Amino acid sequence: MDFQTLILKLSEYWASKGCLIEQPWDVEVGAGTMHPATFLRVLGPEPWAAGYVQPSRRPADGRYGENPFRLVKHHQFQVVIKPSPIDIQDLYVESLVAIGIDPREHDLRFEEDNWESPTLGAWGVGWQVLLDGMEITQFTYFQQAGGIDLSPVTAEITYGLERLTMFLTKKRNVYEIEWTPGVLYGEVRKQDEYEVSKYGFEVADTGLFQLLFDKFEGEARRCLDAGLVLPAYDFALKCSHAFNILDARGAVSATDRVGVIRRVRELAVRCAKAYVASRERLGHPLLPKSPAPPAGGAEGVEA
Amino acid sequence: MAELLLEILAEEIPAGTLPGARVDLLEKVARALAGERIGGTFFVHSTSRRLILTSPDLPDRQEDRTVEVTGPPASAAFDAEGNPTKAAIGFAKAQGIDVGSLVVEETPKGKYVVARKTIEGRFTPEVLAEILPALVEKMTFPKMMRWGDGKPLWVRPVHSVIALFDGVVIPFTLFGVETSRTTTGHRTLAPSRIVVTGAADYFAKLRHAFVEPDASIRREALSAQAAELAEEADGVPASDPSLVDTWSHLVEWPGLVRGAFEEAYLELPEEILVTSMREHQKMLPVRADDGSIRNAFLAVCDQASDPKGYIAQGNEWVLDARFADARFFYQEDRKQKLEERLPRLGRLQFQEKLGSYLAKTGRIEKLAGQLASRLSLEAASPDAVRAAGLLKADLVTDMVREFTDLQGVVGGLYAKEEGEPEAVWQAIYDQYRPASADDSVPRSDAGGIAALADRLDTLTGLFGLGLIPTGSRDPYALRRAALGVVKILLDRGWRLDLPAACADAFALHEGLPRPAAETLRDLDAFLLERVRFLLEKRGFAADEVESVLTTDTRDVCDVAERVAAVAAVRKRADFVPLAIAFKRVQNILAQAGEPDGEIDPALVTEEAERALASDYFQARGMLDELIGRRHWGEALAVMASLGPPLDRFFTEVMVMAEDPALRRNRVALLRSMRDQFYRVARFSEIQS
Repeated sequence: MDFQTLILKLSEYWASKGCLIEQPWDVEVGAGTMHPATFLRVLGPEPWAAGYVQPSRRPADGRYGENPFRLVKHHQFQVVIKPSPIDIQDLYVESLVAIGIDPREHDLRFEEDNWESPTLGAWGVGWQVLLDGMEITQFTYFQQAGGIDLSPVTAEITYGLERLTMFLTKKRNVYEIEWTPGVLYGEVRKQDEYEVSKYGFEVADTGLFQLLFDKFEGEARRCLDAGLVLPAYDFALKCSHAFNILDARGAVSATDRVGVIRRVRELAVRCAKAYVASRERLGHPLLPKSPAPPAGGAEGVEA
Repeated sequence: MAELLLEILAEEIPAGTLPGARVDLLEKVARALAGERIGGTFFVHSTSRRLILTSPDLPDRQEDRTVEVTGPPASAAFDAEGNPTKAAIGFAKAQGIDVGSLVVEETPKGKYVVARKTIEGRFTPEVLAEILPALVEKMTFPKMMRWGDGKPLWVRPVHSVIALFDGVVIPFTLFGVETSRTTTGHRTLAPSRIVVTGAADYFAKLRHAFVEPDASIRREALSAQAAELAEEADGVPASDPSLVDTWSHLVEWPGLVRGAFEEAYLELPEEILVTSMREHQKMLPVRADDGSIRNAFLAVCDQASDPKGYIAQGNEWVLDARFADARFFYQEDRKQKLEERLPRLGRLQFQEKLGSYLAKTGRIEKLAGQLASRLSLEAASPDAVRAAGLLKADLVTDMVREFTDLQGVVGGLYAKEEGEPEAVWQAIYDQYRPASADDSVPRSDAGGIAALADRLDTLTGLFGLGLIPTGSRDPYALRRAALGVVKILLDRGWRLDLPAACADAFALHEGLPRPAAETLRDLDAFLLERVRFLLEKRGFAADEVESVLTTDTRDVCDVAERVAAVAAVRKRADFVPLAIAFKRVQNILAQAGEPDGEIDPALVTEEAERALASDYFQARGMLDELIGRRHWGEALAVMASLGPPLDRFFTEVMVMAEDPALRRNRVALLRSMRDQFYRVARFSEIQS
C-alpha cells in the first residue's frame, strides 16, 4: 500500500457509503476540520456526507525534515456525516478492512479524546482511535461550532494519512513510505519540509505577520458586513495561519495568545452565524425535498 | 424472588467515568425501587462499552399498601340508630369500598369516619419499565454528548439495551432503542449477536465472546500479567495502581504486551521517560531491582495475546517516536544555558498588566532575599535568590513546550546538568510543589523560599489588579497558589509574618491600580480561607479553627499550634463551663459598650469578685509567660481553671450594679480577662 493508493481506497470506500468526495480547501489550514465542508456544513439542519483529503499545515511541528514522524505539512483524510449514523463506528472499522487491516490481528481501541478548538469556538466529544497503541484516527461527535450548539450532530472521522501508510507498510520513517511505486515520500516532500521549517522558525518576518493578521482580520470584518460568508471565512482562516506562524516563531506569549485566539474566534463565530442565516434564507436546499423523513431517520442509518 | 438483568451497550465510555457511573446507576436504581416498595440486592459491572446491573432477589410485585382517607364526622355519618347516612354512603362509594367497611376513628378534631383501603402492589416489571428509562437517561457524566438527530444526551451513543425480568423482556425504550435480549460480544473478536435468557447465561456467553464483565477480575488479571511480563525482562512493574485501574476500564478482554526501546534513550532523564510512557501512552515502566528504569515497558491491549507480535511492535514504534522527539528537544535545549534564556523571558508575558516573566523573575529574586531575612534563613538566601533568578527559564525550552506537565522539573534537571548547586537545582525542580493539599513541599530551605516568592508575587499582583477568584472561576489558579503558601509554611514549620511578607511582595509590583491596604486585606482573608481549609482537612473542627483565626495572629504555624491546643483543651471537663461563661462575658461587654478604664483594686468589693480577681491576676502572670513561650496547651489549661470562679462570680455578683463606679470596674475586669484570653483563641466561637 502506497500513499496515493491509500487515498484512493479511502475515497472509494466512503464514496460507496454515500459520501460526496470534496476536494482540499485552497487556503492554509491547520486541520481538515477548518475546511468549510466541515466547519460550515456541520451547522444547521441540512444532512451532509462528505469525504476529502486536506493538506494541513502546523508550523510549530517543523523538524527540518529530520524527525521521522513529524511534519509541518501532513495530509488528513476527513469524513463528515450528518446526522451521525448509529453504525458509524462499524463503518469506520469496515474502512480499516478496506485498506487492508484485519482488526482481529491488531489491538483496536477507542480511547476518550475530546476535541476543542478555541479559535473556531468549536468542540466535540469522541476518541482517538489507537491501532496497536498508535493513534491513527481522531473520531469526534461535533457538539458546537462557531459557538452554536449543533443539532443534528455530525460525526467526524480524521485519518492521519502518512501515519496510516507508515503503519500499513511497516516503515519507521515517513520519508521512506512510497507515494507511488518507485517514488518515495521523502523524494517529493523532504526538501519542502526543511524549507518550511527553516522559514517558520527562523526566517518568517514576525512584523509582517502581525500586520497581515490585522489586515486579514479587517478584511474578514468587511466581508461579513457585506454579507459575504465564504470570503470572510477565508480571511478568518488566513488570520489563523498568521497566528500559527507567529506562534512557531515564539512571538506570541501566553497572555497575548488569549487575546489573539479571541479575535479569531470572534470572526469564526460571526461567520457561523452568517452561514446559518444564509442557509435559512436559501430555504435549506439540501433538506430532502418531498415528505420530510422522521427525525433521525437519515438514509443508510440502519445496519 | 425474581432476577433482574440490565445491560446498556454503548460506544466506548471514558475510562475515568466508569467507576462513578456504576455507583450512580446502582444508587439511583436501588433508591427508586425502594421508593416503589421493591427491595433487593443489586450488583453493577462495567466494561469499556457496557454498564450492567443485576439483582437476584427482586419480589414479583410491590408490597401492598394501605391508605386511609378521612371522611365526614362520625356524627354526620350515622343516624341515631347507627345506620349510615347519605353522607357515609356517598363517601364509601367515592372511595370504592363497601359502606360496611368504614371505620370510626378518634382524631384531634373528634370522631371521624375513615375509609381504609388496601392497594395491591403492581408487578415489578411494570414498575421497572416505568422507572428505568428515565433513571438511565438522567444519569450525569462529567462530559455529556448529543448524537444523531441531536436529541439524546448521554455519555456516548447507546446501541442496545437488555432488560430481563426472570428471563422476560421488560419493554421500554432508552434514547429510542427498544429493550431486547440481545447484545454483541467483543468489538473485533466476537462482533456477532448474542441472545441471552438470564444473568448466568449472559455472563457465561459474554465470557465466551471475549468480554470479562467484572472490572476487578480484569484488574487482577492485568496486575498478575504485569508482574509476569516484567519478570521475564528481569524487572518489576513500576508501582502504579491507578494506571492499572485505568487499564482495566479501557478494555473488555484484558491483555498486556511487553515492548522494548533502544537502550540509548536511557540517557534521557528518567522523569521524561516516565512521563512519555505514563502520561502520554498509558504505558507502565519496568524497573530493575535497584529502582532504575529498564528499557522495557508494558502496554494494555483489548485482547489476551499478540500472536503475530503486531501489538508490541506498534507500541514500540509509538514510544520510539515519542522518545525521538524528546531527545530532539533535549539536545536542542542543551545548546543554550538556562541563564542565557532569560532575555527570551522578556518576550513571554506573565500577565498583560504585570509584565513579562523577566519582570517577574526580577521581582521574585528580590522577594526571595527579603523572605530569607524575614525567616532568619540568611544561610539559604544566596541559593534561594539564584534559584529564583532561573526559576522560570524552562518556560522557553522546547521540552516544556512539548511536556508542559514537566515545567519546573525540566528546569531543575537542566540546572543540575549545568552544575548548579544541589539546593539551587532542587529549588527549581520543586517549585510547583505542593500541587495539592496532599502533595509534599519543596525539599530545601532555598526551594521553600523560591516557591513562596513565586506564589506571593502572583497573588499580590493579581489581587492588586482586582482579579480575585469568584466561585468556580479561578483562571490563574490562585487558590492553589495560596494553598501552597500556607502548606509550605506549615510543613516546613516556618514562622512568618504573612501580612508583612505580602506587603513586601506588593511593593515590588509597579503601577497596580488597587491601593495596598485594600488589596492586602482581601489577600489576607483569601489566605486565611486556605488556612481554614487545610486545618479542617487535617481533622480540626470548624469552630476550633475559627476560634483562632478570629484572633490577630497571622503566623500559620502559630495558628496550627493554637488550634491543636484548643482541640485538646476542649475535651476537658472544665472547658464547657468556661466557654459558656465566656459567651456571657461577651454579651455583657457588648451590652456595656466596653467603657475605658483599668481595674481599681479598691473597688473590688464582694467575696466572689475578690476571688475571681485574685485568681485572674495570678493567672495573668502565668499566661504572659506561657504565651510568650507558645505553650498554648498549658495557657489554655490555666484559663480553663478560671471557669469555676467566673461561674461563681456570675452567680453571686451583679455586674451591672447601680453604682456606676462599681459597674465600670466589674466590666473592666471582664474585659481584661477576655483580652488576655483572646490572645490565644476566641472561646466565644466554640460551640458547646
